[in-house]
Amino acid sequence: MGRAFAKKPAQPVNASPVVYTEDSFATRSYLPAIASGLATSMSHFFENARELIKGNRPDPITEPLEDGITTVSYPEQKRPYPERFRGVHRLTQREDGSPRCVACLCCSTACPAQCILIDAGEYPEGDKRRGYERFPVRFVIDELRCIFCGYCVEACPCDAIRMDTGAHAAPYDSREQFIYDKEMMLSFVSRDGKHVTENPRHEPGDTSHPGLSRDKH
Amino acid sequence: MPTFKLDGKEIPFQPGETIITAAYKHGTDIPHYCWHPGLSIAANCRMCLVEIMPAANQRAVMLDVLEWDAEINDYKPQRKPKLQPSCQIAATEGMDVRGDTSEHVRDARKGVQEFLLLNHPVDCPICDQAGECKLQDYWLEHGQYQKRMRDEPIHKPKAEVFGPTIVYDAERCVMCTRCIRFMDEVAHDPVLDMRERGNLKEVIVAQGRQLEGHYTLMTEHVCPVGALTSKDFRFKARVWFLRAAKSVCQGCATGCNAWLDFEPRSNKAQRYRPRDNEQVNKYWMCDEGMLTYAQAHEGRVFEAKNKGKQTTVAKALDATKKLLGSVPHESIAIVLSAQHSLEDNWALVELGKLLGTKSVFYTKAADGYEDKILIHKDKNSNSAGVALASPEAKPFSELQNAIESGSIKHAISLGGITPKGEADQGVLAKLEALVVIAAHESALTQAAKVVLPATSWAEQSGTFVNAKGHKQVTDRALNPQGSSEPAHTLLAQLARALGLEPSWSKLKDLRSKAGLADAAPSIVPTTSTQAV
Repeated sequence: MGRAFAKKPAQPVNASPVVYTEDSFATRSYLPAIASGLATSMSHFFENARELIKGNRPDPITEPLEDGITTVSYPEQKRPYPERFRGVHRLTQREDGSPRCVACLCCSTACPAQCILIDAGEYPEGDKRRGYERFPVRFVIDELRCIFCGYCVEACPCDAIRMDTGAHAAPYDSREQFIYDKEMMLSFVSRDGKHVTENPRHEPGDTSHPGLSRDKH
Repeated sequence: MPTFKLDGKEIPFQPGETIITAAYKHGTDIPHYCWHPGLSIAANCRMCLVEIMPAANQRAVMLDVLEWDAEINDYKPQRKPKLQPSCQIAATEGMDVRGDTSEHVRDARKGVQEFLLLNHPVDCPICDQAGECKLQDYWLEHGQYQKRMRDEPIHKPKAEVFGPTIVYDAERCVMCTRCIRFMDEVAHDPVLDMRERGNLKEVIVAQGRQLEGHYTLMTEHVCPVGALTSKDFRFKARVWFLRAAKSVCQGCATGCNAWLDFEPRSNKAQRYRPRDNEQVNKYWMCDEGMLTYAQAHEGRVFEAKNKGKQTTVAKALDATKKLLGSVPHESIAIVLSAQHSLEDNWALVELGKLLGTKSVFYTKAADGYEDKILIHKDKNSNSAGVALASPEAKPFSELQNAIESGSIKHAISLGGITPKGEADQGVLAKLEALVVIAAHESALTQAAKVVLPATSWAEQSGTFVNAKGHKQVTDRALNPQGSSEPAHTLLAQLARALGLEPSWSKLKDLRSKAGLADAAPSIVPTTSTQAV
């Protein structure tokens, strides 16, 4: 196969020649270097021992047994995540447990990784939730493709998708397991254990909802 | 041609034409909702107001108005010119019309926009029109204000089912009456009307009636906002994900021009939209035709078949060679299709010439409903094309007779939609060898020994000749589905398999040989190909 570009002959970079000098006997015997290394180690040893006896430094043997441990035994123990940590997505619920999502595809449009797939549908005639007009029949996120930028959350006009679970995608053993579906994301809760959000909604049928019947006029 | 000035630009017009029509024909869009080039003038939306400068010897009509002045915190008397609806005023020679350049017009547009959106639910996220909505476009161009009304907007019926195809949302409606005028003037079925007044106004269907007939989907397409949505397209896709290809409706011999909107990511056709063509369909399409986009996926032949079993195209061609290789070439009949493009039919006629056969037949679907508006009784998109490709081709019934009498035992067929459908299979079983190159399942593909999968009109550019003789080119929209290939390439391969040297290899060769002008494909984002 031909090269895409013609190969250039090697050019010196910052051309200053390397000067090789003959090592002295002292260098080649390694002894002075060993001695200086030992001296450094021993100085640290005596320094540490003195501090330990004085009580200025914790005992490395008994330290793990005490409170105030400095090593985090992940995954049994976890550091607290920051307030706005973007964890795996959850779909928030309405009061009746159905998804708040109206399948507008704003998240899918905003997603730079194109990892969100939504099929929109309508609740059938006679369903109590008919007035919600539009809902996601299928809502799938590929958590492997997701780059956790949070644009979907920003784009959502309904506060239906959130990344406040405080959890990150668990390591699974196959790719299929990273494909999160609607039911799974609906089952996730926020960090304070809620399926809903603080933002209220006026559902059709509520007293707060203005009502949409032709008979009113 | 006389001209008038619009924002300093000279615009030619036919005597009697309105300002907006002349501007539209010239390619300049004056913002409008209720005006439509194919409908009567309503002049009720007030969006197309323009300032017409008085002639040299006349005074301008001025109105006394009160304008809010924030500095003195009170209304101040002002005089403003009377603006006029450009959809209703006929253009006259040398008229000086100001649109974008007039401060008063810009003010008025903003005001109209605010008024129309006063009670609008702003439910764009769940509205199918979002992305191709005039309310959105004009808000961006002429509005850009924050909502000032703090009251609860008026609520009106939502998701009202108007009929088997259309759902109405009164809250989104701007009462332009385009749908009412369309049903009245074009479909000649005045089933829609309005009731109430002011902000309680809504569109209703006549009592005891539904919005039904052959032109209901068109009401959705004339609707400039999301008030009318089609049940077929409802919630199926967001328009900004779609691309549009210039296409021709496959429903009948009228050959209505259409945009075929498809989703490139899923390689799926999603809808047809009418494409303006003054000579063929004007601005309209019928319901049946508009739903033929689904034939790009339904009832398709995607894989090659040998004796009913799925196989590869190469193996199917080998089987063809075995079937037809030892047969005298001139005894093989060829069967053209009124549902495939002129290029494909032309390639088969060429193959027939190479074979030296005199038996040329064609298949077409049975005649059906017709009306005086658009719908033609011939339900094939390319009947005239077949007549053009081979004037001496005989109908399917004669092929049946010939098979019955035993004079034809071998046939190569393109397509194969027959008048009676499955019921036509009977005689075909008598054929010793039938090779069918088809995009859709039919009686012929059922009876065929070998079936080769051809691309449909949506996956390949082709020419279709309508009943009036217009040669219309469709653009490729989708990628070929399954193992389908253009029928003319399959025919070329078939010719080679039979030891013949085809005279065509590319669509371009075919077109130049068949005397068809080559049309460049033009796939464009849907939002830039909006209807008026």
